Amino acid sequence: MPAAAGGQVSGAARATRLVETVLRCYPARWRRRHGDEAAELAALLIRDGTPAGSIAWSYLAGAAREWFTPRPGRRLSTLACALLVAVGSLGVSAGVLASTVPARAAITNHGYRFVHCRPGPSEPVPGVIAGPGRPRVISWAAGHGQSC
Amino acid sequence: MAVSGRDGKAGQDVLRRVGEASVLILISLADGPKHGYALIQDIKELAGVELGPGTLYGALDRLERLGLIDALPADDRRHPYRITAPGAAALRVHLDSLERVSAAGRLRLRLGGI
Repeated sequence: MPAAAGGQVSGAARATRLVETVLRCYPARWRRRHGDEAAELAALLIRDGTPAGSIAWSYLAGAAREWFTPRPGRRLSTLACALLVAVGSLGVSAGVLASTVPARAAITNHGYRFVHCRPGPSEPVPGVIAGPGRPRVISWAAGHGQSC
Repeated sequence: MAVSGRDGKAGQDVLRRVGEASVLILISLADGPKHGYALIQDIKELAGVELGPGTLYGALDRLERLGLIDALPADDRRHPYRITAPGAAALRVHLDSLERVSAAGRLRLRLGGI
């Protein structure tokens, strides 16, 4: 039994540590305001049987929202840093994508010049007036049921 | 904040865009102040919705910034929150609006024979 009790204690301690680590992700202003209360609320929820992982995840999502929600008091440099990180990660993704484009372009390099059309449905489409003697076609590019 | 009217800016539904969590928090606070844990328990009982603690604090901050709730002095480590007069007025306008939409929906279901 003492071993089981010890396991429970270490499990609870681990859960508490996890939540405390996640709470450090919040801005200092938020931690000063809600930090103690948030830790106590997490302890109560864990005691009630809520998994520590889901509590930590909820706080992590809350911390991300807190950082990325513009506030009047937030320093411009903080926002600029967050924006730079976002732009940087987008740039890396774009670079990876760009490196694969020439290979694809060699195969279909005139594919983007024309709007591809396919025959539209035979039944009338609301809002689209068919021209006399002209088959109705729908633009692949537009894709909104527009006639070509 | 004037939200008591029905038309124009004064009567606009300020809760339309704040999210479900904020509305549930205001409903929970309508019968008296509560702290975070009590809010989560009450909302679970009232609406069957389990608010995550991160969502709760995000919504509380938003409502406080809008002047719809107030934080009372801390009791031990917990801050109880209470609904303000503009918060109660905003909640009334929002619930009226939901009631109108709900009535229209039921009427249309009846007319449609579904």
